[in-house]
Order: sequence, then C-alpha cells, then structure tokens
Amino acid sequence: MRTYILRRLLQMIPLLLGISFLTFILLQLAPGDFLSAQAENPMVSQERLEAMKHQFGLDKPWYVQYGLYLENIFLHFDFGESFARHQKVFVILREGLLNTLLLALAAALVTWGLAIPLGVWSAVRQYSWLDKSLSVFGVIGLSIPEVLSGLLLLMLAARTGWLPVGGMRSLDYDQMDWVGKGADLLRHLALPALVVGLTPLAGRMRQMRGNLLDVLRLDYVTTARAKGLPENVVVFKHALRNAINPLITLFGYTLGSLVSGALIVEIIFAWPGLGRITFEALQAQDQYLVLGSVLMASFVLVLGNLVADLLLAIADPRIAYA
Amino acid sequence: MPRRAQWLGLAAVLWLAGGLLTGCGGAGQARSAYKDTVALPAEPLVEEMAEPGTHGGRFVFAETAPPRTFNTIMANESSSFDVTDGRLFTTLVDFNNATEQLTPQLCTSWEITPDGRTSTWHLRHGAAFSDGHPITSTDILFSFSIYMDDTLHTSLYDFFKPYGQKFKLSAPDSYTVVIETAGPYAMLVPVVASVYIVPEHILGDAYRHGQFASAYDVNTPPEKLVTSGPWKLKEYVPNEKTVLERNPYWCGVDANHQRLPYLDEVVYLIVPDQNTAALKFEAGEVDALDDIKPENFKSYTDNQKKGNFTFYDLGPSLNTNFLILNLNRVHDPKSKKKLGSTYLDPVKYAWFNNRDFRIAISKAIDRDAIIKSVYNGYAVKNWSTMTPGNKTWYTPDVVKYDYDLEGAKQLIAKLGWKDTNGDGVIEDTQGHPIRFSLKTNSSNVMRVAMANFIKDDLAKLGIQVDATPLEFNSLITNLRTDFNYETILLGLQSATPPDPGMGQNVWRSSGLTHYWNIKQPKPETAVEARIDSLVEKNVTTLDMAERQRTWTEMQNLLNQECLFIWLPTVEYRVPIRNRFGNLHPTITPHRILWNIDRVFAKAQKPSA
Repeated sequence: MRTYILRRLLQMIPLLLGISFLTFILLQLAPGDFLSAQAENPMVSQERLEAMKHQFGLDKPWYVQYGLYLENIFLHFDFGESFARHQKVFVILREGLLNTLLLALAAALVTWGLAIPLGVWSAVRQYSWLDKSLSVFGVIGLSIPEVLSGLLLLMLAARTGWLPVGGMRSLDYDQMDWVGKGADLLRHLALPALVVGLTPLAGRMRQMRGNLLDVLRLDYVTTARAKGLPENVVVFKHALRNAINPLITLFGYTLGSLVSGALIVEIIFAWPGLGRITFEALQAQDQYLVLGSVLMASFVLVLGNLVADLLLAIADPRIAYA
Repeated sequence: MPRRAQWLGLAAVLWLAGGLLTGCGGAGQARSAYKDTVALPAEPLVEEMAEPGTHGGRFVFAETAPPRTFNTIMANESSSFDVTDGRLFTTLVDFNNATEQLTPQLCTSWEITPDGRTSTWHLRHGAAFSDGHPITSTDILFSFSIYMDDTLHTSLYDFFKPYGQKFKLSAPDSYTVVIETAGPYAMLVPVVASVYIVPEHILGDAYRHGQFASAYDVNTPPEKLVTSGPWKLKEYVPNEKTVLERNPYWCGVDANHQRLPYLDEVVYLIVPDQNTAALKFEAGEVDALDDIKPENFKSYTDNQKKGNFTFYDLGPSLNTNFLILNLNRVHDPKSKKKLGSTYLDPVKYAWFNNRDFRIAISKAIDRDAIIKSVYNGYAVKNWSTMTPGNKTWYTPDVVKYDYDLEGAKQLIAKLGWKDTNGDGVIEDTQGHPIRFSLKTNSSNVMRVAMANFIKDDLAKLGIQVDATPLEFNSLITNLRTDFNYETILLGLQSATPPDPGMGQNVWRSSGLTHYWNIKQPKPETAVEARIDSLVEKNVTTLDMAERQRTWTEMQNLLNQECLFIWLPTVEYRVPIRNRFGNLHPTITPHRILWNIDRVFAKAQKPSA
C-alpha cells in the first residue's frame, strides 16, 4: 500500500510539469499581456511600459521565462510573484484555497447529507408519490443555473434580512467570541453552500436509490426478511452497507472537482475563494498567478482521485493495491 | 414501512433549516466617543465644510476589486488608488474635487518667481506621519526622487522633465523646499499635487536597496504601514475587505479645531458582482454604490425615500468614447515591413486619409439616437478629451461635425463614390466597395451597442460596416502592437488632475495614446506639427488665458481634421445613504470618497 501511494505521488511530477508547460504556452499564445490594461490611460508613456516589462521579466523570450520559473520552483520552491499584487503566488493561493475548501466541504455536506437519506427514502418507497416528487425536485435543482438560484436566494436574504447578502464574515467578526464567530461563518456559508450543493444532489440521490434497489433484490436480503428480521435492520444493517460502496468512490472524485467548480458562486456571493483569484488573474494575464492556480487545482484533483481509490480499498476488502 | 427512513429524511431537512437560521441578530453599530490624545499641530489644516460634525461611525463602500498594493507610487489600478490616494497618503497640494482648485495641504503656501523658474514651498509645521514622526523636507525630497527615478520610471516620470530637464529640488531648511525648472511650467502645481508623500525613515532603506517596487505590498502589517494621509490601515483581508482607521496625527481640523477625520472607520468591501452589490446596498450592508448602469437609474430615483438614500446626479463622466480610423505607418526600424508603409490596405488607407470621408462618417452618426437608446437618455454629446464634466477645461463651442445625414451624403457624392452595381454598397472611383470592420471591446456592453448603431447609421450612406466585438487584450494588441485593425471604438480615461497638460500623450504626435498614428518620429502633417507646438506652448506658460487659447486651438485643429470621431459620454449617478453629513460626491476621480475625512455619521435615534 505504501509503495502504491508513493508511486502515485511520483507520477504526479511529470503530469504537473506537462500541465505547467501547456498552460505557459497557452498564456504566451493569448494576445496581449499584463500591460495591455494600461491602454486607456493617457498618462502612460512608452518608456513606462518598457520599464514595467523589464521589472516583470516580460522582455525576455518565453523559453527563458519558463526556464527561470522551473528553476525557482525546483531550487527555491518559489512559484513566482503576481504582477498585479506584487506578492508571492504561494501566499495568495494559500488564502484562497482554505476559503474554497471550506465552501466545498459545506457544499459536499449539503449534497451527501441530503442525497443519502433521501435516496434511501425513495428506494424503500419506490414509485410512491414521495419518490416521484423527490425526483422532480431533484431535476429542478439540477437544471436551474447557479447564477439564477444564487441571485434569487440573495434577493430573498436582502428582502427578509434573515441571512447576510454574500461575503464570508460580518464587519464586526473580530469583536465576536468563538461561538459568535462560528455562527457568523455558518450564516454566511449557508446560501452559497446550498447553491453549490444542490446541483449534484439529483444525480447522487438517484444513484443511492438505484444502488439500494439493486441490493434489495438480492437473495441475501430475501433470506434476511425470511428469517423474520425487522425491515429496519434489513435495510440499514444489511442492504445499505453494500449499496453505499460506489458512492464512496464518487465522493473522492467530487472532492477534486469541487475546488475548481465554484467560480460563479464565489463571484455572486463575494466569497473570497480560489476561483475568483484564478479568474481575475486570467483576465489580467497575470501569468505566474494563473500558472500557480492551475497547478494547485490539478494537484488537488489528482489528490482527490488518489483519496477515492484509497477509500475504495478501505471500504471493500476485495480490492487491494500491491 | 421503515420508520427510520422517515426519521432520516426529517433529520436532513431539520439539519438544513437549523444551519440556515442560527443566530439572526442584526449587527448594531456602537458609537464610541473619540478622545484626541495627540496635541494639535502648530499649523493645523483647517478644512472648510458645510457643517461641523461629530466623531464616530463607519462608512462602508463596495468595490469590485481589492487594492493590489498600498504603494501608491508603483500602483497601476484604480482599486489601489481608491485606497491610497488622498486616504492613506497625501500631497503638498490637494486637488479639491468640489471647487476643482489646487489648495495647500501638507504645505501652507507656495510662491513662484516672476520668471516661472523657481518655486518655494513652505511645509506645514506640526504635520506628522501616522507613527508621529514629523513630515519634513527630507520626506518631500525623498518622495520626489522616487517619482523621478530612472529605473522605476513611474507613470508621472515624463512630467518632471519640462524642456527636457529634470526638476532640481533643494531644501534650505527642514520646512522649506525649493523646486527649480528650466522655464515656466504650467504643470508644476498639478504635478506637485500628484506626488504622494511617503516616509523616508521607513522606506529609505528599501529604496536604496532597489526594493521599493515591492515595498508596502498588501501583506505589510498595518502597524508597519506608516502613512501621511488622514487615514491609516486597520486591516486588510484578501478579497474580502480593506479597513481604514483615523491617523491620530493627521493635521486636518474642522472650524471648531476638532481633529479630523470624524469617522472611526472606512470599509472597502469587495463585492465582485454588481447585482450582489446592489442587493447589499438594499439590505443596508453597504452605504454607497458606484458605477450604476443608466438602465437602473429610474429604479434608484424612485426608491430614494423608501430606501432612505439620495441618488446624486454627478453629471457627465470625464471619460470619453470615440471611433478612430487606422492611419498608422511603420515607424519602428526593427519591423519587417518597409519603413513608412501603411499597416492598412492602401485602398482603405486612401479612404481614411481623406478628411471629407472622415467628416461624412461623423455626420452620419445619429448621436441623439445613441444617447436615447444605448444610455436611456443619460449621456451627453462630447467633442474633446475634456468632457462637459470638466469645469475648467471644457470648451463648449469647439468645431464639431454632428449628425447631418444630408451633409454626409453630399460629401460622399463630392468624392464621386456611388453604388454602381446596385448591391446597396457604394464603390469608390476605382470600383472598390466601401466596407470596413469596426472593432470594440466585448466586455463593454455600451460600446458594443454603439458599434451596432454606427453600423446602421453608415448603412444609410451605403457604407458597409462589420461590427466585431473582441476581448479587451486582443483589441489592445491590435491597437498598439500589430496595428491589425481598420477602425476601433474605444475610450480614454481622464488624467488626474483633469488638465490637458496631463494628457499630452494623446495630443503629441510622438505619444503612445495618439491612437490614429502613434509614436511618429516627427509630425507627419502640418496640422500635427502645429498641434505639437501648441501642446508645448500650453504647458510652458503660467498664463491661464494663454493656456485656454492654445487649448481651444488644439481642439479645433484636431476636430477640423476629424481624427477622433467623437461619441457620447455617459452621465454618472451614485446612491448614498442619508445618514451621513458633509457628503459631496463629484464626477472627478474618487467620486464619493474624496472628502471622506470630513464626512460624519449623523446622530441616530436609538432604535429598539
């Protein structure tokens, strides 16, 4: 097992190198550069542009820029500096990643906390009105775009005053005790987590329902029922354990994609996450910040896949990695 | 029937509801009395204002982007300037947005010798940085030397070199600074008003070690960020907010000699989406909004009473919109193309180079229709880089070619261009159909709409226009680097202070924003040579009447040539909560916050 993990981690190095090279080439091919934004300012002269180009190292050929970038990573573990923010890329991304992970975890809680019980519920009451209305509800949740549901929820928050309108913390956050801080964070987290979490809900719910239905038809369940076990024990102790296996794998995979998939929600809810940082960097062609965030997102994605594989091995004794 | 399944479902619903409704308390604002612990300066700066206020309170402002640095000298974007300029850092001379006059700030007075070469600046005794260190001539000389540094090459750099010679600064004593220029220089005071004073005792070492560009970045701990302005940094949370608190050593006071600023805090909240910002304003989480779209003006006007805010009319913007035709020639000896050849197809170059054709285009554009449809009526016609929003430099009666479709048709007929093959598009005398592309940046909805109006208007002349919205960076590459365009619809921001002398790059034939034909080694036409000499005259005199005269002539010359085909400029309105006193939003940059050190929160009735 340990060698397997080590091998998977080592495989990441060429993968990330390739990703960084591709991203760098794409950024070079894109028209304009970080300094293009200065075009509407009548006070900027040619010499000023040259001085800035030199300051950012943009006057060197692309292969020299890329070489220096790799050298700094391998020799100093330094991912370069953002042009716009005059700050180390690593510092900027670290701040965003924690906030995004918080949102991603809360959203995962919404998805899975609702999908599993609702999936079970509709499986044991297959074809009832409840089963049908749950799937209608799920499909609606799946098909409303995040922009719309996000803005509608924010409008509700603004009109009723029940919840804050976007943001991550109140202005008086620092004056609160830890209970107040936690509650404040939770209040700000509720709406964005709901929006991110509801989209994949329908799929997961149907998956849970289908898996459980499959298992409930198996012989050993009939045996358990024939033995006279109560239905509760049959469903939760015998059937559910086997039905939940594929969902564990899925959970690991979604972890990776959640980090990169919350851009729209982060913008609408003014959530200070990684998606916004990447998006702004892309718009401004802040190249080392773009590279850094692409590498970070890829790293988390690959790590998520690894975690999924490992979880599967733990949950299912039949799977073993040599 | 499994009862546990029901319980699980119920638990899920309850869990969600519980999370949603935990703690619904509204945040009240505590009003603490301010005790001034620092003695007032020997020469306090007495600020004029509508009514003296009281201390306390907080102003929350929504911005789409966070500041990128607190180093105002190296910053490039307005989200940084909004926090630094006039807030964290101040200048010897202040541009007063309300009066559009330059008034003493960190100096008490200045005089200029009759020959216009030597100016003497008397510093304010008792003015101090936010750490209590006095602001002396050492700091003034230090700040100027950074702006004039050859390697840093700040955006103001060129303005310190009138007559090709740099300013000479000296300090006879700690509270006097002398500036010598090679001759009279109109931009002297505006430039001094743009030099933000930074502390030598903090930043001197960084500068001498070549690390100034990265000093005062956003990670600087607040206690290390020593400022010269009315405010200092309290807290910076990346992508969330920037909080300023009062600088206890600030030299400004009100008529009753109470120290300014009145407010305890100014908060810049980062809200990337404008719809969210509007909802935050509605919910009372934000006190003011900027950049409201004209299509929403009516709903803000109607809701003023209900929402307890005022929707201030700031008048026309200082930023411009225009159409330019590509008349660029190859000036770069390193280029693969032949020196002096045109980037444009010679056939099209010949059209665009024809003044009558340019005038015909300008006359074909129905600007009233654009104002009515694109801007919902909230825009004005504009014919210069200094718009009607500029009190000092707007010239109402410049030469202009406004909508006159018949006149345009006559001009085209005079050229001998007509539709010979009946396809609805006119041809020139060699039979080339008159068709060109119009590029603009796709992110600006108003400009895209204007481009489509122009396409329809020119179709009435038989000219076929292909409107092509492009992503901003591609457009700028076309505009400045590869010159791969026929016409572009673009705009220019206002220079600060809004003085034609600060926008010389637009007017000089050698300028980088002289967009129709940039960076000419020497003026290509007699008109451009004349404009160049007028710019030179305009900035090398101190006589305001002479400056106005040359300025009017510059605009008339340019407009007679119709090199900029001018388009309407938008009007601004901003909503601000009614609970503040001394607010005076203006159209000049830092529209709402320019005098926030004089703004106070009105006493509120205690609410239940």
